[in-house]
Amino acid sequence: MTDTLLNKTPQLDLNITISYQQFDLAIVLPIPLKGITGVFGHSASGKSTLLRAISGLETPLKGDITLAGKSLVNTEKNIYLKPENRQVGLVFQNSRLFPHLTVLGNLEYAVKRCKNRQLSFDKVVELTELTPLLSHQVRELSGGQQQRVALARAILAEPKLLLLDEPLSALDQHSKTKLLKMMLNIQKQLDLPMLYVSHSLDELQQVCDTLLVLEKGEVLNFGNIHQVIHQLNNYGDNAIIHQQTSLDLPIKTFDNGHGLTALALNAQQDIFLLSDKAFEQQNQLRCFILASDISITLTEPVSSSIVNHLFGVIKQIDNQENNVLLTVHCGSQDFFVTISAFSQQKLSLTIRQQVYLQFKAGAVRTFIH
Amino acid sequence: MINSDLQALITTLEMATLTTIILLIIGTPLAWYLAKMTSRFKVIIEAVVALPLVLPPTVLGFYLLIAFSPEHLPGKLWQQATGQQLAFSFSAIVIGSVLYSLPFVVQPLQKAFEQLGDTLLEAGALLGAGPIDRFFSIVLPLTKASFITAASLGFAHTVGEFGVILMIGGNIPGETRVLSIALFDHVEAFDYARAHLLSICLLLGSMVLLAAIYWLNLPKINKAKGLSSQANRKEGNPDD
Repeated sequence: MTDTLLNKTPQLDLNITISYQQFDLAIVLPIPLKGITGVFGHSASGKSTLLRAISGLETPLKGDITLAGKSLVNTEKNIYLKPENRQVGLVFQNSRLFPHLTVLGNLEYAVKRCKNRQLSFDKVVELTELTPLLSHQVRELSGGQQQRVALARAILAEPKLLLLDEPLSALDQHSKTKLLKMMLNIQKQLDLPMLYVSHSLDELQQVCDTLLVLEKGEVLNFGNIHQVIHQLNNYGDNAIIHQQTSLDLPIKTFDNGHGLTALALNAQQDIFLLSDKAFEQQNQLRCFILASDISITLTEPVSSSIVNHLFGVIKQIDNQENNVLLTVHCGSQDFFVTISAFSQQKLSLTIRQQVYLQFKAGAVRTFIH
Repeated sequence: MINSDLQALITTLEMATLTTIILLIIGTPLAWYLAKMTSRFKVIIEAVVALPLVLPPTVLGFYLLIAFSPEHLPGKLWQQATGQQLAFSFSAIVIGSVLYSLPFVVQPLQKAFEQLGDTLLEAGALLGAGPIDRFFSIVLPLTKASFITAASLGFAHTVGEFGVILMIGGNIPGETRVLSIALFDHVEAFDYARAHLLSICLLLGSMVLLAAIYWLNLPKINKAKGLSSQANRKEGNPDD
């Protein structure tokens, strides 16, 4: 019994209700404290409120929150830990740095109040690349730099769980990519579990292992990120995402002469996408293909300019107004394809029919692009 | 005779200093409470705090005189606790001054706390800082200018006080005889030379004090404003 408890991944157990004017936020869910868990949903779906509830900033709630066995809130037992006693960190959308302190002063603010002090200050500064900025005033920093200071400051408080509330939304694409990579690296190096709220699925698809989808305050889906994205494809006309195939594949070869990178889909089939310098440091790549970017042919398109063509079998056909969503099984991977109802009739597609999928290398997207 | 004016100056400074200290001690939590308060009773408390700004000082003095008399509860309790009469004492003019100068301390602090908002305090709490810690490590450094303004205005306004003290002080040398009362006495006695002397001293003193506040605060406020708006601009347009 003790052994199984010890081996079990620590969890964040949520069982909370928060009343709102438009809807109630009601979440009953154990979230394993492992890697980065994404929280996705449209605005007013309750994402930020959830983070505020976990961190202790959202006070009027009912239920209980347990973090790695420690009760943070239990309204029945009248337990309500203050934010400063929860060991939960939060990086806000706007960095919320203390303007009267330097970068170093902001970081020391967290260190001075940290009870454990297990982390090396220098290591965190190095991971967030802040060494040259330590003596700067925070108002001299760019948005991306400010968020790096906010991230480092939150980490130095040594939380058991780090919450990130749209940390990239105010940044440009270049800063976003940089910070996202930094977060992934920090998560791995420090083994710090994170809960990452965003309305950008592309961001989450890059870094999260698990995805929680909220809609109007309720859990719509929770689980492996690729599976959840594929489940979201099937919400038909109410889809809250662009229907897509989400992939995490090993990089096989770089064809630098043609500017293409090959990803191994399975033993027989590869997917090609446009190369990027950033790929060279990686051996695994996360990417996605929008369902509207894939087309279907009944014969192998041997003389086409389109580089990717995969052989597969139609598994499912869903009619959606003027479109049809096809789920096509290629090797061990499902692909999602939307075609017009007109084309579906013309090709008279049926379940278990063998087809070829076609898509351009440029249709295979990564967040880096 | 000049000695009596010097005595009045010392009494005035003692009263104003003590009043300012008390005002900061009670005015800070009151201003904080008002800044964070969302109840509809807020306007009533705000009106009570602001009342000395519009009320004739003699009205306040009149009610305080009645309250401080040994026949009424506040005066009676004071007498039981200290063995001395409250009306016509140094303590009475300090209490009167505290009430009279309250808005001059509470209002700038309330405004500063409102402007500061909750965002940085939430950030502090999540880094492990408790409420007292947050006050000294975040609120105080960021609202320092408003504390200087509040303390200086409270002090200067107390020095310039006349009506309330006239009603509850009783013009006792070394106890309740302050500069403004001494000046009034000189005018009453047609001693215009000494009235001039006191007037010019009060005028210059007030002038120097106010100039000192503006000198201390204004450049910093301007600087902070300029830089914070610069930071805001940067926020939307980051380049890393």
